[in-house]
Amino acid sequence: MLAPAVLHLAWWIGIPTVATFVLAFTHYDILAGTMSWAGLDNFVAIFGDPVWWQSIWNTVVYTFFTVPFAMALAVVIAVLLNTKLRARAWYRTAVFMPHITATVAIALVWMWMFEPNIGLFNWVLSWFGVRGPAWTSDPAWAMTSVIMMSVWKGIGLKMVIYLAALQGIPHDLYEAAEIDGAGPVRRFFSITLPLLGPATFFVLVISLIDSFQVFEQFYVLTPEGGPAGSTTVMTYEIYKSAFQRFDMSTASAQSVVLFAFLLVLTIVGRRFTGRDDVA
Amino acid sequence: MGGAPRPGRIALHAALIALSLLMVAPFVWMLLTSLKSHAEVMAYPPTFLPSVWQWVNYPDALEFAPFGTYFRNSLVIAVSHTVINVALAAMAGYALARLPFRGRSMLLMLVLAAMMIPTFTKIVPQYLLAKTMPFFGGNDFLGRGGSGWLDSWWGLIVPGALTPLAIFLFRQFYLTLPRELEEAARLDGLGEFGIFARVMTPLMKPAIATVALITFENSWNNFVWPLIVTRSDELRVIQVGLAAFQQVDETLWEYMMAGTVLATLPMIVLFLFTQRYFVQGFATAGIK
Repeated sequence: MLAPAVLHLAWWIGIPTVATFVLAFTHYDILAGTMSWAGLDNFVAIFGDPVWWQSIWNTVVYTFFTVPFAMALAVVIAVLLNTKLRARAWYRTAVFMPHITATVAIALVWMWMFEPNIGLFNWVLSWFGVRGPAWTSDPAWAMTSVIMMSVWKGIGLKMVIYLAALQGIPHDLYEAAEIDGAGPVRRFFSITLPLLGPATFFVLVISLIDSFQVFEQFYVLTPEGGPAGSTTVMTYEIYKSAFQRFDMSTASAQSVVLFAFLLVLTIVGRRFTGRDDVA
Repeated sequence: MGGAPRPGRIALHAALIALSLLMVAPFVWMLLTSLKSHAEVMAYPPTFLPSVWQWVNYPDALEFAPFGTYFRNSLVIAVSHTVINVALAAMAGYALARLPFRGRSMLLMLVLAAMMIPTFTKIVPQYLLAKTMPFFGGNDFLGRGGSGWLDSWWGLIVPGALTPLAIFLFRQFYLTLPRELEEAARLDGLGEFGIFARVMTPLMKPAIATVALITFENSWNNFVWPLIVTRSDELRVIQVGLAAFQQVDETLWEYMMAGTVLATLPMIVLFLFTQRYFVQGFATAGIK
């Protein structure tokens, strides 16, 4: 019963994962089909490339703003929704909806809203006498545009995980705190947040992993690495190396670097929240 | 935490309504734009509701770009992925949850590890494996000379047909069934596969729904893999087709929005009717 699954996973996940690490240390010419040992050449080459550094920096900046914003909003919304409220299911649906819709399609909708001359954002801003920027085509605003969309899209999943975790917090803890005179804010910081530790770790790790792998919204909203390369990210550089220049070895080396980032983030995430028992 | 005073309640509702509107606004704007005439879309200031509801935009958009083909391709792939994933992952998840065999915990660890492998850590060799598939697309037996599974239904469907996440979810669900069932079935003379197929799995309809929905969603929304393995227009999925449309006809917003409605509406409708399975799935994957 396991055989088909094991074969499929070995062939399409096992071999490719190992192969990425092998390819990263070779010169592989996809057209000629030749391969030779390269040692660290590919890594030396990518770290000599300012665009690659730029893409790392952009990925970090994107993550640094997207993840904490979306997490903070998600936890607040989850707590608000974890009360006996009328229309609670409706609110939850609205917040979760962006998560289940395709990133590419929804990025196109945002692109339309970001349109500088006739788009929704600059129209709304004009009511307040503000002349909006060119958003995705302005180097100073392109990254912000993508972050805005990603926060909007990312809240839903995080909120659902937080909601599930909140239901596991015993109610008498709040009653006891209330008797001791703790207000809602105090209860949130002294009970809710600490008890959400495992959920926070989980949300943090999946969000970081997701965030470092962001591709679609950058591909659509800021094509070709964005205005003046201002929004190229690691995944986009890998995509460019592998599927536009067909330089598989360079792409593999870049993938290994991305993987190293993700691994470190997972480990640090564990340390940071002090939990080891959540998978 | 219930029983807040009345003004607090009202403020809470006001905040939540504002939030919900913000979350839904892009969808509403997409729908409204898809129903305006080109002149109205390009006019400034924008109108909120279409002055004339241009339902004809949809047939026009389908004629202008092959959104119909893209839609059908996405549907074929998502349905195939769902069927294959549910069938294979249920078997594997069942074996990992209920069959004693050597190396089971080791295998489970590998499935968990596979779940953690990022897309971009495996995508380059996956592409090479698809390209060098022997005997396909003009390849010889060593996988040289042709394009293999690139630009074919094989390449679009097979590599992503089974996900470790589905195996893991099924394992978690199968673990919850009582052992007595299994023993009773064994006394009745059923073999292991019979127990799996006729006794245990029929009790797992919610789990199957959850895995099926998550698989369908991921497949329908998938972009990177179909982007790199397809060249021809006839094999494009809707997400790739939309991105291509945007690069060529970037100001035909009403057609583009009609296309994005086609690309998002199936998921939205599916989600509205099956929310609890979705949420159950994410909660199970999230917190054991």
